Amino acid sequence: MKKLLLLLVSLFSTWNAYSQDKFTVSGYIKDAANGEGLIGVSVYVQEAKTGTQTNPYGFYSLTLPKGTYNLVLTYVGFEKITKKVELLSQDVKLDVELKDDSKLLQEVVITTKKADDNVKSLEMSVNKVDIKTMQKMPALLGEVDIIKSIQFLPGVTSVGEGASGFNVRGGGIDQNLVLLDEAPVYNSSHLFGFFSVFNPDAVKDVKLIKGGIPSQYGGRVSSILDVRMKEGNSKKPQFSGGIGSIFSRFTYERPFLKDKGSFIVALRRSYIDILAKPFLNSDLKGTSFYFYDFTAKANYRVNEKNTVFLSGYFGRDTFGADFGFNWGNATTSFRWNHVFNNKLFLNNTIFYSNYDYALQSDLKQKNDQDAFRWKSNIITYSIKPDFTYYPNTKNTITFGGQQTYYTFNPGQAVAISGGVERTIGLDDKFASESAIYVGNEQKLTSKISLLYGLRYSLYNYLGKGKAYDLSPVSNDGERRSIIKTSEYSWGKSIQQYGNFEPRFAANISLGQDNSIKLSYNRLAQYLHLLSNTTASSPLDVWTPSSNNIKPQLADQYALGYFHNFKDNLFETSVEVYYKDLYNQIDYVRNADLLLNPAVEADLLFGKGRAYGAEFYVKKAKGKFNGWVSYTLARTERKIEGLNQNNWFPSRIDKTHNLSVVAIYDLNKRWTFSSNFTFSTGTPASFPTNKFIWQGYALPHNYYDTRNAYRIPSSHRLDFAATRQTKYGFFKRGTGEWVFSVYNVYNRRNPFSVFVRQNETDPTKTEAVRYAVFGSIIPAVTYNFKF
Amino acid sequence: MKNIRNLFSIYFLSVFIFSCTDVIDINVKEGVSQLSVDALVNNKPEIQTIKLTLTQGYFDNSAIKPALGATVFVFDQDSVAYEFKDLKKDGVYTYDAKNKPLNKIGKQYALYVKYGEDEFVSISKLNRVPKIDSINYQVEKLPIKPENGPQEGFQPQFYAKDFEGEGDCYWVKSAKNNKYFSKATEIQVAYDAGFSPGSKTDGLLFILPIRTSVGRELYSDKDTLKVDLYSITQEQFYYLQFVQQVSQDGSLFSTPLANIPTNIINRNSNSAKKAVGFFGISAVSSMEAIIDKNKAKPKK
Repeated sequence: MKKLLLLLVSLFSTWNAYSQDKFTVSGYIKDAANGEGLIGVSVYVQEAKTGTQTNPYGFYSLTLPKGTYNLVLTYVGFEKITKKVELLSQDVKLDVELKDDSKLLQEVVITTKKADDNVKSLEMSVNKVDIKTMQKMPALLGEVDIIKSIQFLPGVTSVGEGASGFNVRGGGIDQNLVLLDEAPVYNSSHLFGFFSVFNPDAVKDVKLIKGGIPSQYGGRVSSILDVRMKEGNSKKPQFSGGIGSIFSRFTYERPFLKDKGSFIVALRRSYIDILAKPFLNSDLKGTSFYFYDFTAKANYRVNEKNTVFLSGYFGRDTFGADFGFNWGNATTSFRWNHVFNNKLFLNNTIFYSNYDYALQSDLKQKNDQDAFRWKSNIITYSIKPDFTYYPNTKNTITFGGQQTYYTFNPGQAVAISGGVERTIGLDDKFASESAIYVGNEQKLTSKISLLYGLRYSLYNYLGKGKAYDLSPVSNDGERRSIIKTSEYSWGKSIQQYGNFEPRFAANISLGQDNSIKLSYNRLAQYLHLLSNTTASSPLDVWTPSSNNIKPQLADQYALGYFHNFKDNLFETSVEVYYKDLYNQIDYVRNADLLLNPAVEADLLFGKGRAYGAEFYVKKAKGKFNGWVSYTLARTERKIEGLNQNNWFPSRIDKTHNLSVVAIYDLNKRWTFSSNFTFSTGTPASFPTNKFIWQGYALPHNYYDTRNAYRIPSSHRLDFAATRQTKYGFFKRGTGEWVFSVYNVYNRRNPFSVFVRQNETDPTKTEAVRYAVFGSIIPAVTYNFKF
Repeated sequence: MKNIRNLFSIYFLSVFIFSCTDVIDINVKEGVSQLSVDALVNNKPEIQTIKLTLTQGYFDNSAIKPALGATVFVFDQDSVAYEFKDLKKDGVYTYDAKNKPLNKIGKQYALYVKYGEDEFVSISKLNRVPKIDSINYQVEKLPIKPENGPQEGFQPQFYAKDFEGEGDCYWVKSAKNNKYFSKATEIQVAYDAGFSPGSKTDGLLFILPIRTSVGRELYSDKDTLKVDLYSITQEQFYYLQFVQQVSQDGSLFSTPLANIPTNIINRNSNSAKKAVGFFGISAVSSMEAIIDKNKAKPKK
């Protein structure tokens, strides 16, 4: 694969030499305040009526016929700049810094880089909420949360309040590729799902891609959540932070080595345990209950052609006294940006990602006589070169590849009873995943632009390991039995899968302010999160595709109409999508997914389909801004062995989803905001009958159907008010108070409805609503910066 | 590993204070009534009981109707028949095992039920059970006043050893002052000496959480604790796990509700009339202790 890449590089490099009557202007565009590279700045050539955008590193390149041009640089929230460029005899390098204009305007503008970008760009099914908006939106317990904020966007739902992760267009939470500086994050939640692992102070850009996924992305079938960290202020040292109800946050960033580099370190920690400590008596003294995350990033500009970045994330949740557990993600990515020449840009990423958890019965005091200790992890090593080639203003070609190696430890446990020790080892599992891709963004005519590409992924399930041959699936979803076990030696391929993944998107402009977009993509996913519970728990194990578990595949078709009104004051869009999902995983009755060597025998397989329509209206400018999003959707599964092999609604299916986000900037000091959401209840299975056995009233579904009922619908209103103070700490910098109220009208939204025996008389039975948040939750947060 | 998940849920609930539950009404279409067989028998020379009832709508809280007029037999592997009779005409079919107990360890037993035109059968096996070696208790003080039992007292545990050879399953029952802990959530089953086949605890002393699980709460001086160890089949191990699972409160980590598989089979496999319930036979070993504060082990 490497050879192929080298060949491509040399090919593109030589191409460049032929064009004599054309010259290239290229460079980096940065934020004047802190030196951060700006992602997606529009670079528009007035004379040629064409343009481009900066890439995720702030780099752009435009090749134009000999001449003098005016480049108009626009980025929402920043001052518009026009730069004159003379492309007469040679290529020009032009780095530009843009000034933040929010001080002047005193209003929040919800990100689109250019006012009419939603209509003009090729991207469809892509949503962004910028950090500034997220910070103004009401948040649970006042903690700004990326994952919770994106759930207000069309097509994004969660199985219930407090559940970890998010669902995109009818896909499972493990079908989202969550990237933090290009390294995958396997569990995006703290405290089971109440808070996401991203520290908002360290995040620069968040982009959710639901469809029309470009060929450089792969590995998950539903969506890509691309989170980019800040690079750190390269102009001056800066200290910022906040004190909230749950977390305290501190961030420090500064330039180093004569402003050629900068770094940022950000730390968050919960402190309920610290506050509670004086109130705990001696028996609970050793109880630990906290979570934290540490984010750090440094960049160094070696010379004009080379920049290196090193970023890391480390987060952990710890709970327990004698019996305790902890889990967390750690990611490290090293990136090297290299500008081969003014038309060819390379970003090479090497990353390491680890998700692990451990449970221990003797956390506080080691017990050699009786104990249980258990740990599990998934480690990813990967190298990923991505090239961008700008041959002319009509085409932007991306190509590259990725090579990943996975090791899975599905569970390693030690049980000690009466001093006798037993190791309960599930064998480690190994897999490799390779991919190469090429894609082109082409402006076909002034009305039509296209994005097309192809990705080929090749997966290998590797030894050392065991492969199981299983009995056929029975009609009533019983556990399958192992017919044969085969042993494979180290490095030997147990099973191989290859998939071509074509990608296509088109934008047909219907005029100045409206367009039609369509897209198709096929995606393959080789890793699966085994989770049979309503909300995913941190104990759920990621498992690789094997001879029994086939890779998940998705084909998605989407069509959208985009229209802006009143000089781009209102942005509207309607999108419809249809998705076919293959090799979806479900579970036998009473499946045992933890520490089970033959876990594959507890899995059932089938297909899925999801379809829906998304409506979106956004007021992007003005003192009063925000959006309304409504999604009508369905997602279903057909699993061999469940529901008499008929289609049934998936547990994440929600028919109606309405979100309203409204922000009002009253004056320089006060901002008010409000969220409202409504969603149909998720499907549930209820018993039709009961029978008494050993005094217990046990449920029985005579028709043996799955998800034939729905729990009641959910709705909720939240408020927040932000007040800017004159100074931060010690009369320096700035500060703000955020007051928020979650669940304003005290609604008990059902997370689930379950049936049970009456507590006093177990032969009597009843239905019970379980609400995660059964009360109004107010919170105050103080943020500062100096 | 279900128990681990339970512990996990408890931690979860204790840390999250905003959640709440309340009883609501839901509308569900009732299914057709079926025969329900509650047939757990053991090797003790005492009256053995099999209850036959009819299923009814889940939210129909009227009295359960008995299945009357059935013919009920248990046969052992040597073709000896034991007839169960409904003496009081209330669906409770009994057999007095005083003279001829069902005690052939290692042998299979079959249940035969004829109800109306349908014949139902089921097979179980009387597995071996280890004897309980001892019960001891140590001084314990809980950080907060518990719902049941004293805050300061004695925490008991029982000692018994699983047999060598993988796959022995047990049901551990216990009674404080002759009152059995009988809630579904208090069902304690063991696979070998641990929680599940994955835990590889063959031949060990029952592992710690199981050893102390019998107490359920703290004990005071002169309280009695009785521990019964029942041998069960692997099928019954999973059945009881299932019973426990469907009886649990829903939460973030509940699994989808599924029908509990039955081992009661209609002899006519084409018949639409299926039964629910379970037949199992157990060997029992027991031990009883009276808490004596002078014999308690000091707190660790």
